[in-house]
Amino acid sequence: MLAQLQTSGAVHWLGRQLFNREDPAAFFDPLLERIDPLLTRQTIRARVISVTDETPDTKTFVLEPAGRWQGFRAGQHIALTLEINGVRRTRTFSLSGTPAQWRQNGTIAVTVKRIQGGQVTGWMHECLEPGATLSVSDAFGDFDIPDVAEPAIYIVGGSGITPVLSHLETMAADGYRAPVTLLYYVRTHQDIIARDRLEALAQHWPALALKIFTTEEAGSDQRLNDHQLNQVPGLNARRCFLCGPEGLMDLAGDLLHRRNIPEDRIHCTRFSAPTVELDGDNLGGQVQFAKSGKQTESLGDASILDIAEASGLSPKHGCRMGICHQCSCRKTSGTVVNRLTGKTSGQGEETIQLCVSVPAGAVSIDL
Amino acid sequence: MKTLNESQLNELQQDLDQIRDQVIADLGERDANYIGKVVRLHRSLEVGGRVMMPFGFIPPVFLAATTALGLSKIIENMEIGHNVMHGQYDWMNDPSLNSQTYEWDTACGGDSWRRTHNYEHHTYTNIIGKDRDYGYALLRLSEDDKWRPAHLLQFANYVLLSVFFQWGVGLHELEFERLRNREITLKEKTPFLKEFFRKGGRQAFKDYVFFPLVTLPVAPVVLAGNISANLMRNLWSSTVIFCGHFTQDAETFSEEECEGESKGHWYLRQLTGSSNFTGSRWVHLLSGHLSYQIEHHIFPDLPAHRYPEISEQVQAVCRKYGIHYNTGSFARQYGTVLKRIAGFSLPDRLRTRLLPEFNNAVA
Ligand code: FES
Repeated sequence: MLAQLQTSGAVHWLGRQLFNREDPAAFFDPLLERIDPLLTRQTIRARVISVTDETPDTKTFVLEPAGRWQGFRAGQHIALTLEINGVRRTRTFSLSGTPAQWRQNGTIAVTVKRIQGGQVTGWMHECLEPGATLSVSDAFGDFDIPDVAEPAIYIVGGSGITPVLSHLETMAADGYRAPVTLLYYVRTHQDIIARDRLEALAQHWPALALKIFTTEEAGSDQRLNDHQLNQVPGLNARRCFLCGPEGLMDLAGDLLHRRNIPEDRIHCTRFSAPTVELDGDNLGGQVQFAKSGKQTESLGDASILDIAEASGLSPKHGCRMGICHQCSCRKTSGTVVNRLTGKTSGQGEETIQLCVSVPAGAVSIDL
Repeated sequence: MKTLNESQLNELQQDLDQIRDQVIADLGERDANYIGKVVRLHRSLEVGGRVMMPFGFIPPVFLAATTALGLSKIIENMEIGHNVMHGQYDWMNDPSLNSQTYEWDTACGGDSWRRTHNYEHHTYTNIIGKDRDYGYALLRLSEDDKWRPAHLLQFANYVLLSVFFQWGVGLHELEFERLRNREITLKEKTPFLKEFFRKGGRQAFKDYVFFPLVTLPVAPVVLAGNISANLMRNLWSSTVIFCGHFTQDAETFSEEECEGESKGHWYLRQLTGSSNFTGSRWVHLLSGHLSYQIEHHIFPDLPAHRYPEISEQVQAVCRKYGIHYNTGSFARQYGTVLKRIAGFSLPDRLRTRLLPEFNNAVA
């Protein structure tokens, strides 16, 4: 009932009249936050419940989101927004817990590998402790378990195991009948994430065949190869799930294609959005920022977000890779190329994502 | 204007850039906590004021409610709205403190203000003919405007402007003086007027219709309290802002001398065209640190609570180049503002005899 009211047009209207903002409830956030951060309305907050070590450079954070968080499907991601030294930073992580776990006790989990020199993952590893709060987005992504049980193969590298863990545990709990093979590639034995959970799964769920390969351990350079794939019974009839670093994904995609496995039976989830090769000759141009009266010339495939920042503006943004839509903004004229899809926009007025839009000729932006 | 040669100007620029870089490198949690505290203070005062107001038929409660609401508006306009819209907190990446989307609690629309203040006033500070904030096209404050008999009444205009300050600022972009001279047409201003009526209407609706109506039996009390709170904010912000550029020693400039100016020259103009006043921590907070107008004008996008910290360094730079750092007590600075308004309302012959101190203040 309350939720309905809040989204209704009348409340937005009143919010604008009384508080000069769209979301009247968020006006009180600074005060509510003092009482309990989970009460705030502008973003959905989550509290850190526990932090556990998985491997020397990977930790699992169990979070309890505020009650109005909508839930997720196994294989989906969320964007976390953390305040680090006064600055909000947003990053996307896949959910490693299961929807069942969330339904039971209201907690979710992200398993985070510390990236060398990573501002956010480094901070999470060092400073994020139980009791702290952060903001969570709704879950997104369509790396889904098949609707009807059918044979499946998972080819996974490193921390790419996180959404797959959620898949496997959910499938096991649902009594998924068809055979499932997991080929899991890690550098050394130390780098196996959630080893206990995987072993427990393999033990209690006969459908699962678990194979762990180490790629950098003395004497065993076990990279993904045809031989390993040949060992998987009925491979061509299986649905394929790939998750992990770019190199492994490309290799796996290649090997599977050569076996004539159709594209629509291969599902990938990537850590960074793939970028399309853009034709450099037609890119760049005069960029006009209408609201601030700034104008600048861009060369090559710089994104409009970068261009705006270089000319002293600071547009709202989050992920900088085309996921969160925080940077969405009106383009009033000109064409831009979307770096993710390679598609060229229309000429007229439309909403674009600044971080993945590259000007193709003169454009003007409502910024 | 104090003149410096080109290499001095370059050096001046480097000295000031260095101060700026230091602060930028140091921005972080301390600044986030500071603005967070101010925002909480604003919310508490506004909520407190609005809740107490219906009980304003008890005189001391009326006083408390009106003061709380007035202070909340002052803090929101000065330390939060003004500074946020300058981009001082954009680096925090907090959507509720974003310079491009922030909308403040006053009749002037945020977008209009970003154009007239952020862009025009801060670029063309004190250039007569280009900076419309200099006298607001309403007051004659320098010799560059020719004296007309109507100027005799400008003190009354000043009082009126202060009383209705939020509406004056709101209508600033209308460029009434150019409309009157038929340099522009009303039609060109329709988009702006629409914006003005939307935002101004919203402000009037909330303080003069909505809150009185929902407290119906005591509507007159609430209405009176809200009017008083707005008046309090109008008088204070207008006074603070007048002290920023219209004191006795704040210089003005001509378009010619600023043509194609370097960054160093721009810095020099900001330093000599602005003026500070001293006071307690609270005075600085309530003025949005525009009591450090000089620091604000050279670094408009540094978090304002940093100005007191860098003031010593800025003064040292001024001493190095022999630039007058224009500061004094609030009473003294405001006194010279009143004198300037009164003085320039008189014909020049009379003024030069009565108030000779303004003779060389004009470039
Ligand atoms: S910043 Fe996230 S979509 Fe552009």
